[in-house]
Amino acid sequence: MTLKVLTTVFLLLISVALQGQVTKYPVTWKYENQKFREFIQKAESVHNVKFFYKEEWISDKAVTFCGDSVTVAQVLDASLRESGIYFLINRHGDIILTSGYMVRRIETPAGVEGKFIPSVILTDSLKSRQVTGSMFIDVGNPSDRDKPGAVTLSGYVRDENTGEPIAGVSVFNQKLSLGTITNSFGFYSLSLPRGSHSVQFTFIGLKEKTININLYSSGEIDLGMSSVLIPLKEAVVSAQKDRIIQRFEVGLENISLVNLRLLPASLGESDIIKSVLSLPGVKVVGEGSSGFNVRGGSADQNLILLYGAPMYNSNHFFGFFSAVNSDIIRDVALYKGGIPARYGGRISSVLEITPKEGNRKEFAGNAGISPVTAHFMIDAPILKDKCSLILTGRSTYSNWIFRRVNNAILQNSMASFYDVNARLTYDINKNNKIETAYYLSNDAFRLNSDSLYKYDNNIVSVKWKHFFSRRFLSIVTVNNSNYQYKISSERVLQDGFKMAHKVNSTWFKADFNWYPEGRSEMNFGADVIKYSIKPGDYTPSNDSSLVIPHLIQKENAVEAALYFDEKYTITPFLSVNAGLRFSSYFALGPADIMLYDPLVPKNVSTITDTSVISPGRVIKTYAGPELRLSLNFRLTDNSSVKINYNRNRQYLHLLTNTTSISPTDTWKLSDYYLKPQIGDQYALGYYRMLNRNRIEASAEIYYKSIRNMLDFKGGARLVMNENAETEIINVRGRAYGLELSLKSTEGRLQWTAGYTYSRILIRSISDFREELVNSGKWFPASFDKPHDLTVTFNYLISRRFSFSGSYTYNTGRPVTYPTGVFRIGGITVPIYSERNAYRIPDYSRLDIAVSISGNLKLKKIAHPHWAFSVYNVLGRANVYSVYFRENNNRIKGYKLSVFGRPIPSVTYSFDF
Amino acid sequence: MRYLLLIILCLSLILVAGCIIKFTPEIEEDNTLLVVEGMITDQNMTNKIRISHALPVGKVITPVPVKGCRVTITDRHGSIYNLKESSPGIYITDSTRFRGQVNNRYRLNIVDGGKSYESYTMEMKPVPPIDSIYYEKVLIGEDEFGVPIEECQVYLDTKDPFGKCLYYRWDFSETWEFILPYSVPNYRCWKSAYSGKIIIKNTSVYNQSRVDRFPIQYISNETERLKVKYSMLVNQYSLNEDEYAYWERVKSVSENVGGLYDVTPMSITGNVYRLDDPDVPVLGYFSVSAVARERIFIDDNFIGLPNYYSYCPGDTIRYPGPIPNLNISAWLIVDNSNGQPPYRVITYFRECADCTLRGTNVKPPYWDE
Repeated sequence: MTLKVLTTVFLLLISVALQGQVTKYPVTWKYENQKFREFIQKAESVHNVKFFYKEEWISDKAVTFCGDSVTVAQVLDASLRESGIYFLINRHGDIILTSGYMVRRIETPAGVEGKFIPSVILTDSLKSRQVTGSMFIDVGNPSDRDKPGAVTLSGYVRDENTGEPIAGVSVFNQKLSLGTITNSFGFYSLSLPRGSHSVQFTFIGLKEKTININLYSSGEIDLGMSSVLIPLKEAVVSAQKDRIIQRFEVGLENISLVNLRLLPASLGESDIIKSVLSLPGVKVVGEGSSGFNVRGGSADQNLILLYGAPMYNSNHFFGFFSAVNSDIIRDVALYKGGIPARYGGRISSVLEITPKEGNRKEFAGNAGISPVTAHFMIDAPILKDKCSLILTGRSTYSNWIFRRVNNAILQNSMASFYDVNARLTYDINKNNKIETAYYLSNDAFRLNSDSLYKYDNNIVSVKWKHFFSRRFLSIVTVNNSNYQYKISSERVLQDGFKMAHKVNSTWFKADFNWYPEGRSEMNFGADVIKYSIKPGDYTPSNDSSLVIPHLIQKENAVEAALYFDEKYTITPFLSVNAGLRFSSYFALGPADIMLYDPLVPKNVSTITDTSVISPGRVIKTYAGPELRLSLNFRLTDNSSVKINYNRNRQYLHLLTNTTSISPTDTWKLSDYYLKPQIGDQYALGYYRMLNRNRIEASAEIYYKSIRNMLDFKGGARLVMNENAETEIINVRGRAYGLELSLKSTEGRLQWTAGYTYSRILIRSISDFREELVNSGKWFPASFDKPHDLTVTFNYLISRRFSFSGSYTYNTGRPVTYPTGVFRIGGITVPIYSERNAYRIPDYSRLDIAVSISGNLKLKKIAHPHWAFSVYNVLGRANVYSVYFRENNNRIKGYKLSVFGRPIPSVTYSFDF
Repeated sequence: MRYLLLIILCLSLILVAGCIIKFTPEIEEDNTLLVVEGMITDQNMTNKIRISHALPVGKVITPVPVKGCRVTITDRHGSIYNLKESSPGIYITDSTRFRGQVNNRYRLNIVDGGKSYESYTMEMKPVPPIDSIYYEKVLIGEDEFGVPIEECQVYLDTKDPFGKCLYYRWDFSETWEFILPYSVPNYRCWKSAYSGKIIIKNTSVYNQSRVDRFPIQYISNETERLKVKYSMLVNQYSLNEDEYAYWERVKSVSENVGGLYDVTPMSITGNVYRLDDPDVPVLGYFSVSAVARERIFIDDNFIGLPNYYSYCPGDTIRYPGPIPNLNISAWLIVDNSNGQPPYRVITYFRECADCTLRGTNVKPPYWDE
């Protein structure tokens, strides 16, 4: 899938290592054209100085001539400039080189002579550490070493290849079991006692780094981390010591590309977004269905962000593939519990897709083919070290297959999709970075009928990141996201029609992040979203069509929010994250609002009046605060408890009354009648590292109450309906659950196991019996699946072969059964039970896969990968839905399975 | 959407299928809701209202009639017509005394013991005549010898120049002649069937009340319908908007199921409700429609029809020899089809020897030669 490893190191901070020492080593010999090594040897022999370095850093270097009668420090400064190697002259007068990070020290005030940490320890450590290339670094002012209290070590962690910050890096001190993780800007802040420490930086897919520090007072270390070698990527998954203990968030799940490639893929396509669906607390209606449900929320309650913009349809091909090509994705984070205050607008979850950073050094790429799709990726630096472009494309060739199958139904059908991603990043200077991105996806299908369905997503985004100072930065984002679908039919010219629906949003967002000295981090900002929805345009598709154009009035609205959020470490054992988001919403004219007789259910025939709202006038305002609160108690070195409360408000809704959401569902904004959905979630989590920190265990419980959810009257017509409020039933929801998970990500056998018990019950609220489902009683929503068990494993047979599998079990979802029948018009019509009174059979599936990489030669033109997988090995015909149809004057039940047999597939791809 | 399965099947390139398994749901609920089905028309005919109870699932459907109801129809002017129970649960109008009128409004009242039911007041909309019914041959493919195989699509055109009728419903009864390939007394018969599906069209979205090339019936070659001669009598009904919406819902729960995007099932109530307790659902619909009729004959030669009697011949005996051990469950037929001396053929399938088993040997009065 990707990029080649760069062995060179990218210089990020163009600054010179500080030399706080008075020690001067004059260069008394002729050093012009001298090799670096010779220069060091000469210096060591002339002066009583020792150099510490790693041989490979200097092997082919020569010194830069910078004049006569200079000091060793001046020569080093000139020679190492922009090489990524830094140097430091410590108090002994020894010269220490560091690669990838620099040491910053606060100057000792003149005349203050601090005592020193016993040199024995230091030297011993140095010797032993030199083998691995790690160094001891002095941080802070040595005179402060005897002062009381803990101090903080902070800084940015960046990718050496791209210079981009890395979020989620674990920063950990093994001995004290203290740690933290970097935030989304790569910034970390760790509170430690003064003294000598070893701090480990780990992140899955990156080489682990350990630095040794003498911590005298608060100080900063910036660190560069590099990827593991790519051709071996599957094999060298470094142990991710994902310290869940340190996280603030309850209910945050991360999946990175590296984890993903270890899991068996369905239909030969490894799909990062689909893999999110196997996480605890996430449910799908059935195999290959679009949309997902997080902790009892409906499918429209998930905010899916790509390039910071919302995606309104995240699926291709009826939901069998996700709409974003995994080639462009670095990782995916799913917030199902503690949603940070910077996000809003959906009440169940936020799924943020973080795109891959472009390669700023050299050209790389990847291409692949699976039974259904072909895809490619190109990753190219436009300006070396400054600007890079990633371009990906993916398309299916299913139509080509359809035309070759001798089956009338298939020949009369088509289904195709493609998607394109382009992303350009440009570092203007040290403090300003700009990135622009474009995304387009398109689907078209016709299922043995004359109606052609088409839908597409379009996202354009510009992001500007500005550093006011090292500890204060802003990100300004402007994006536009557009989703539309069209249905057209031309079977009979006179009946030819086109029907179109469109949702468009323009988003302006400014986020500020400030890390003041000490133990807090602050985020604040504002966002404004302008929505425009075209509910439905029904127009003739040709000149001879008799169709009367019918255009439903557009909906317009503005959503605006302000937020402030602070993370504060009260003691190393107690930290708090408190956020407040104030969101407001204005539904805007022009609009004709129907007024209904309040004494009877809303119905077209009970309209009493129309209120005309002129353009730009506010129809209805909704506003309210959203509190986001979490507390993290560290109980012991390897366990913690977190408590979280969250409120979210949602103003955009999807009108759907099918089992699984479909691409032709209609989006609708809150308006005069439709109130915002409000969700409150309370969660409690317990986290613990087991078996000498090899197994990560967690247990979370949650309770959620949802107001103003949507349900629909039986047989509701939701497409092309001007009076959608007459079909909508206001529903209250309550969800609760327990999520248990175990994760072992070290060693040759890596595995995860998760079990969830969860319920989602809903109840309709209305003054009229006609608008009550199941007479207003609580009943399970159609995605209520109480028991859910998922187990995955990956076994590394050798560096080239790996074997993986995953098993899923869950309770069947609720369905409505017919309890009786009657005949009318010559057909038999079922009468149904109370809604969702029965359940389909339980679901169980095992997938396995073997992945093989080509040989391990680094200098090959292309590095091939083969993946063989079998989906549903047990061949169990899992029931997707049950339905009832008349057959010989009887109503017969039928169970439909989507994948009733094992499905093998092969994928070939190569990196170049 | 149900073709999706087939598509997935192909995409996987291997014989992988979604599959469908039959099952009988276990349901203990008891359902004795009242079902009212009936129609009054503008034709000079007897109108029927059928009153029965709903039935449990999974049993053969013979509706349980509701006997002894008092059934009346009230029109716009307040005139009341009594209906008479002609057979259990079937209440009829007297064609000499009652005939629906276009633009009049009607309401149905039912008294069943202590319970009273009433329908909404329904207006009889006018209906235009059917413009034309015509058919086209459809080439569906070739058999293994390269012989084309044809089937038949029947279309309907209609229009209401006055734009009064916006919602249409059709049903039809089809009749076809079939001939057994043997000389038996009952070799030529006619068989009839009722459309048994909901055929509706909404023209309110067009700027004219006009229906063109509406595919009213597709005749496949699986039955003998295309073999000899086929006829179809189409009834065209005018509907008001409420009734159209009713049939649309019935259609969606009975037909649009079994796919990936099933609509949440629902119970459908019509335009009849219980007076003292409107929350008790009443099923069925009291239709008020004007009717137009049109008949079409299809007497054409379709290529590639299969042999519908390939299973028939049993044993052949040279005529007129004696037949040993002939028992009661075998039938004798005479075959002289290929000009040879006639043979006596024994068949164990009675329908090969007697067409009245599947149809009637009485020629329908409208059947011209």
